[in-house]
Amino acid sequence: MKTNEAMKVLASHRGEAIVVCALGTAANGWWAVTRSEDSFYMHGAMGFAASFALGLAVAIPTAPVWLLNSDGSLCMNLGCLLTEAGQQPSNLKHFVVDNQCYQTVSNMPMVNQNGADYAAIARGAGIARTLTIEDLAALDRQMPDINAAPGPYFIHLRVEAEQNYQRPPPFSYEGAEMKYRFGRALEGKFGIKVFGPTGF
Amino acid sequence: MDVNDQIHAQLVKAGVGLAATLPDDWVNGLIRRVAQDNAIRHIPVSREAETIAICAGAFFGGVRSVAIIGNTGLLTCTGEMATLCLRHAIPVFCIVSNRGSIDDHMIYQEVQGRRTIPLLQAYDYPYRVIDKPDEIETIPDAYEWHRLQKRPFVLFLTKKLLGLKKS
Repeated sequence: MKTNEAMKVLASHRGEAIVVCALGTAANGWWAVTRSEDSFYMHGAMGFAASFALGLAVAIPTAPVWLLNSDGSLCMNLGCLLTEAGQQPSNLKHFVVDNQCYQTVSNMPMVNQNGADYAAIARGAGIARTLTIEDLAALDRQMPDINAAPGPYFIHLRVEAEQNYQRPPPFSYEGAEMKYRFGRALEGKFGIKVFGPTGF
Repeated sequence: MDVNDQIHAQLVKAGVGLAATLPDDWVNGLIRRVAQDNAIRHIPVSREAETIAICAGAFFGGVRSVAIIGNTGLLTCTGEMATLCLRHAIPVFCIVSNRGSIDDHMIYQEVQGRRTIPLLQAYDYPYRVIDKPDEIETIPDAYEWHRLQKRPFVLFLTKKLLGLKKS
């Protein structure tokens, strides 16, 4: 399956989930399909979208949180799986978009390309519920069960590498504006206070 | 009330509800004290930069948080502090052991002692070194101020403040 096709299926099952995207293909694909402003798109800190999503998930335990991670980002911080397993956040679903390459930097191959089983790594770290999905029909079929199951849940999505695909960040805003759009969206959606009475 | 009780009390006063931590000899007492408080969600991590991203995520959940780590770990976090927190103007409050100071003779800590603060200055991360018990009560003010600064803030705890014996 192609990344954007997988993103479209995920978007159709999103419901009220807050979405955090690792930089690169995951973020670019989710934006291309949804234009969602109540999602957070990492522009740096490669490897740490998982930690960011965990902090958000434990801060709003009543809200479903989806992490759209990528193979490159996961491999840069595999320890995030131990930290996640240690907390057992019941509202967190951890998707990994695996295209076996660093797609936004000329499709250079992933370390140990095709040689790693990410779902097995997640299980070994202490995340009991894991799944590997390789086609769109299976993804669409599995999503209701994934949504209904408690987290942490690790879903490994095998997608095709695509040449010259969405390399530049496609977002129409960035930096502090992303903070305020995302934070204000969460305030409106969940009735929480992210910012104080004078805006900071 | 020992020094870790005092720091914990001021974190509570500042409204902190989450602590992401990784051990260091000098801050282990504070980590244990925070972990005893059921009103603070304690998240032990596998590497220090996770504390920065976890606190950034908690910020968007409306929860005030603190990263408690050692000075060596702080050095490993500066890239994530820049590309996540400076990039998006996200405040993160860090409490860090002032390892490598003139009274720290542990060989592992030598490098960071003279280099951490110039590095923080280069990134324009504000910091404060707390050396006396009566400065602990400034923590709530420092917490509010760091939110206003919209970037990582580092509060260093000295060996003298923590009442540790000479190594």
